[in-house]
Amino acid sequence: MPRSQFVDPFEIRKKGKITFQDIPVNQYDRSIQEEKASFTTEDFLRIFRDMAIIREFESMMNLIKTTGEYNGIPYHHPGPAHLSIGQEAAAVGQAYLLDKEDFIFGSHRSHGEILAKGLSAIQKLPEEELMKIMKNFREGRILKIVEENRTGGNVKDLAIDFLIYGAMAEIFARETGFQAGLGGSMHAFFTPFGIYPNNAIVGGSGDISVGAALYKKINRKKGIVIANIGDASMGCGPVWEGICLAAMDQYKKLWEGEYRGGLPLIINFFNNHYGMGGQTSGETMGYDMLARVGAGVNPEQMHAERIDGFNPLAVIDAIRRKKKILEEKNGPVLLDTITYRFSGHSPSDASSYRTKEEVDAWMAVDPLLTYRKQLIDSDVTTDSALEDILADARELVTKTLKLSIDDSVSPRMNLSADPQAISRLMFSNQKVEKMEDRECDVLMKKEENLQWQRVQKKVRFGLDENGKPVSKNRVYQFRDGVFEAMIDKFYTDPTLIAYGEENRDWGGAFAVYRGLTEAIPYHRLFNSPISEGAIVGSAVGYGMCGGRAVVELMYADFLGRAGDEVFNQLSKWQAMSAGQIKMPIIVRISVGSKYGAQHSQDWTSIVAHIPGLKVVFPATPYDAKGLMNSALMGTDPVIFFESQRLYDIGEMFHKEGVPKDYYEIPIGEPDIKKQGKDITILTIGATLYRALDSAKILEEKYGLSAEIIDARSIVPFNYEKVLESVKKTGRILLTSDACDRGSHLKDMAQTISELAFDYLDAPPVVVGSKNWITPAHELEDFFFPQPEWIIDAIHEKILPLPGHIAKSNYTAQEMIRTNKLGV
Amino acid sequence: MATPVIMPRQGQSVESCIISQWFVKKGDKVKEGDLLFSYETDKAAFEEEAKSEGTVLEIFFKEGDDVPVLTNVCVLGEEGEDYAEFVPEDAATPENNVTGEKADGKADEKAEEYAAVVTPPAGEPEKPVPEGKRFISPRARNLAEKTGVDIRHAKSTGPNNRIIERDIRNLHQQGAMVTQGAKGAYKSLDTPLAGSGLGGRVTTQDLTLPVAVVGNAEEEQPVTAVYQDVKVSNIRKVIARSMHESLSEMAQLTLNASFDATDILNLRRQFKKNADKMDLSNITLNDILIYAVSRVLPMHKAINAHFLGDTMRYFTNVNMGVAVDTDRGLMVPTIMNANLKSLNEISIEAKELARECQKGTINPDKLKDGTFTITNLGALGIESFTPVINPPQTAILGVNTIEQKFREREGIIEAYSSMSLSLTFDHRAVDGAPAARFLKDLREALESFTILLAK
Repeated sequence: MPRSQFVDPFEIRKKGKITFQDIPVNQYDRSIQEEKASFTTEDFLRIFRDMAIIREFESMMNLIKTTGEYNGIPYHHPGPAHLSIGQEAAAVGQAYLLDKEDFIFGSHRSHGEILAKGLSAIQKLPEEELMKIMKNFREGRILKIVEENRTGGNVKDLAIDFLIYGAMAEIFARETGFQAGLGGSMHAFFTPFGIYPNNAIVGGSGDISVGAALYKKINRKKGIVIANIGDASMGCGPVWEGICLAAMDQYKKLWEGEYRGGLPLIINFFNNHYGMGGQTSGETMGYDMLARVGAGVNPEQMHAERIDGFNPLAVIDAIRRKKKILEEKNGPVLLDTITYRFSGHSPSDASSYRTKEEVDAWMAVDPLLTYRKQLIDSDVTTDSALEDILADARELVTKTLKLSIDDSVSPRMNLSADPQAISRLMFSNQKVEKMEDRECDVLMKKEENLQWQRVQKKVRFGLDENGKPVSKNRVYQFRDGVFEAMIDKFYTDPTLIAYGEENRDWGGAFAVYRGLTEAIPYHRLFNSPISEGAIVGSAVGYGMCGGRAVVELMYADFLGRAGDEVFNQLSKWQAMSAGQIKMPIIVRISVGSKYGAQHSQDWTSIVAHIPGLKVVFPATPYDAKGLMNSALMGTDPVIFFESQRLYDIGEMFHKEGVPKDYYEIPIGEPDIKKQGKDITILTIGATLYRALDSAKILEEKYGLSAEIIDARSIVPFNYEKVLESVKKTGRILLTSDACDRGSHLKDMAQTISELAFDYLDAPPVVVGSKNWITPAHELEDFFFPQPEWIIDAIHEKILPLPGHIAKSNYTAQEMIRTNKLGV
Repeated sequence: MATPVIMPRQGQSVESCIISQWFVKKGDKVKEGDLLFSYETDKAAFEEEAKSEGTVLEIFFKEGDDVPVLTNVCVLGEEGEDYAEFVPEDAATPENNVTGEKADGKADEKAEEYAAVVTPPAGEPEKPVPEGKRFISPRARNLAEKTGVDIRHAKSTGPNNRIIERDIRNLHQQGAMVTQGAKGAYKSLDTPLAGSGLGGRVTTQDLTLPVAVVGNAEEEQPVTAVYQDVKVSNIRKVIARSMHESLSEMAQLTLNASFDATDILNLRRQFKKNADKMDLSNITLNDILIYAVSRVLPMHKAINAHFLGDTMRYFTNVNMGVAVDTDRGLMVPTIMNANLKSLNEISIEAKELARECQKGTINPDKLKDGTFTITNLGALGIESFTPVINPPQTAILGVNTIEQKFREREGIIEAYSSMSLSLTFDHRAVDGAPAARFLKDLREALESFTILLAK
């Protein structure tokens, strides 16, 4: 508890200064001769071989892209190819000591890292295990192809064929690639070898890798995690956020027992000095040397160091030393691994930002030349032996290219024959009670938890026997529904963690987790820095590794801060991995009011637009618990919206009250909250209660009976119940607190128009918030939908009501006017 | 002195009445006892007489207006007298009376009714608007197709003058329907046609016959007219709805049985002969039947009951509904606690109720709360029929005519007077055997009615 750490004004106001230790720069200076004690000849040669394979692979890609031909084989590849020619020594040096328990995460320029890590894993894994991995991966499909086309060799040779083919077929978008061609060049990976997803978003791995390190630490898994990102990504907010999250004091100060200590994480910058065409040191950044940044993060200065990525042995040396720091729980580490890409950013790069002299100068110290010369000079091997290695690499790449572009062997996904092939992968739709079967780390029995006991005593239906509302203090509230689902899962799934801003002692800004502090240890429920990007991004990494997490964004308005993580990472990895990755991550997002323009937005529509996310917005305690249970049981990412207007509301619909026992409400099923026959009103979120008010007016004043349907879920959504209702009533109005323009309700209205056109007596009408900023609380009734607006809209657009005089303007002219003005 | 005439309150449950007809107009001189206007509730019709002499100074409501009870309807007094203080709040202005438009704007008019209610047909049918120049909702168009109404006659009440579902429903209730076959040819006509097909649909045959123009039945009726459209009265609508509901919602079936009516016919003759002497009412066969049924019913509680879906309501006493045929239609006044009343009392009450119904002065409260109903078509020579249950009652007894039948008794063929009974019961509430047992007990009671009387 941070309360145990006294913020002492006397200490804090004392005079003093911050001192820094030196940050080592290229300190490695051992010769091959000196390293002979640590490396055998085979080791030295294997390092060369791995660099040669990568160089050949990337050169092939370069030739295919620029000349349409490699070694006499013509091929056209329209997709991306961000090549790392020149960076081989850095990749191979890093991978040299890593085994399959060590995870790497990459960038858009990671072909070399994938191959290096794969080759290193193959070298270390016993043959039986290698065979097992290959047989089990995608039901042995890739293995079968490389086995049928092999030209002799042992299991390790076969595994190398497997690795090169899987990666190459993936880059060429073949169904036989590692990710069935759905990942491609920038997203190829192979988790059985510890190769975790690369990322086309610059710095994307900067926070995802932190989640992987959290997974290792919290679930006591072996191995370290390395984020491989580029020097230019140091300018990305989420990278800084990831560093902050990785370097939190609490790991070393507040986490208890064996969980105390730093994260097993290296944030490694492959520093090739350019972010596309921007020169980082000298133009777009100000750090002079990137390693300097580590000094500003924590007293350990992140053990930052600049190392020479043009010397594979220097990189191996650094990884050996840094791995030890991580094993001693002193992470995280920042590495500035200098390197240089001879190729352009991409084949279309005209290198206008650098001189030929500069490229030539770096090419003169090309590791494939210098390391080769050193091996010969130190009598490790002969030039012809190295020539043989180069020739083998060329043969390997040539053979694999032929195989991976042969449509009969390596077809693309056949979407004509199987149009649902990608659609099936958008969600995993599994039910997994616990992501791992072992005991849960907790501090007490659930039944002893005071808050749990308090919740058990609450009245589980919102109205007493006389139909009067039960007092707020006694009634089982919306927040209790979320609490109950959460505490149940904390005691069921040992991998479950929850974090975000103020999540632990405060219980979240809206006290949903109140009382969990006493029951759940620090490493499973903790406060994060104000880093929305890293909060979601790290959860993505945690999920990729096999854990389940619930993270929170305090206000929907802060969603923008986690834009990439929600829109590109959380949503896409299940499908981009062809189903190899599950994403059992829930992002709780609270929709505010009262606090003005940047704290009151309903952004359900924005996430509903993104493929791959499930989106729910319960409005009652019964639905909140049931939907949270479903979300926590599932394996898909769920954006769980909650309204701050409703946290203390009691259950008004489910007469039996909110069950104490476990139950699920299926995601995607709307619920009829009130039966009616004259008009259907479909609501999302808190407008349910305003729609009920309007139904009362319709009933009492105009004799119309409204059927109220609470969408509950936004994605997926089963329209059947709504269509049935619309066929009965012939009329529908949709309402939510989202701004009217681009509201998801418009999408629903359009879908209903298509599916029930012949039954409609009027077009579906949407009543949303104004397309303005949200004004102060006192003026909110002019901004958010009100019961009277609903009546007015019905009167104006659906069914003129006798004697009704509309106060708000829902005429066609007004629609044209406001749209013309964009308001 | 000017005197207002109010809309009388006919029973506690009545909130308003509809003025059916005015017998006087503004400026007419009336004397005490002259009929001023007739009015009706959904259950009965009444007439209001002048209670004093004078001139009709003003009429506040027109025929068809729904007037809250105790509201001033018109004012009588000396010519030229000021009557301003008697003008009710929701009266139509005299100008509107003249044009026949109803000044309304009453907020309590329910939109549900508005959504489906029949707007009174205008005196002149609207000129049909060509299709294609009007907008119509898909739902309304489908309904028009299904019901066969001619949308050119629909009055738009939707947004942007769009024809919506309720407009088609209105039109459907007013008529203006065409069969599928006649549609094509009909569309080219300028003038709407009256239809002779099912539900008043215009058929292909109608299109080839001499034109019959739908119009106000009383004015401008062309010589070629072969029929007359008369607006259905409220009572008729109520009967229609209640009968249809009864048949569509219940599981009705009818048992027929006859009994030897010798005893009751003898008794009836006795009563007739001695009525004056014994100060008895003119006791009819119907009274005898009411009496017998009211005595037998308490032993068959499922027949003297209401079926309320998930509950049965059994009654201790018998509130006997007696069907009365009137000019306005069928009415069923109730003899309360008939099982506790003597035959003479029943006879007196039944006659009084029938008289009030015929006159139309029956208090609507007397038309409620029946637990069982008797309907007698015997006088009209009916031998057997299937009476329709008055919901939520569980049964109704139909009484048929007396016939001469023959039977064999101790080797001799003899003639006797037989009367048959038709019992319709709701099989949801009562099974066949219990219903038959009731009928059996009733027959026995009637065959030895004198003994029953003595009990």
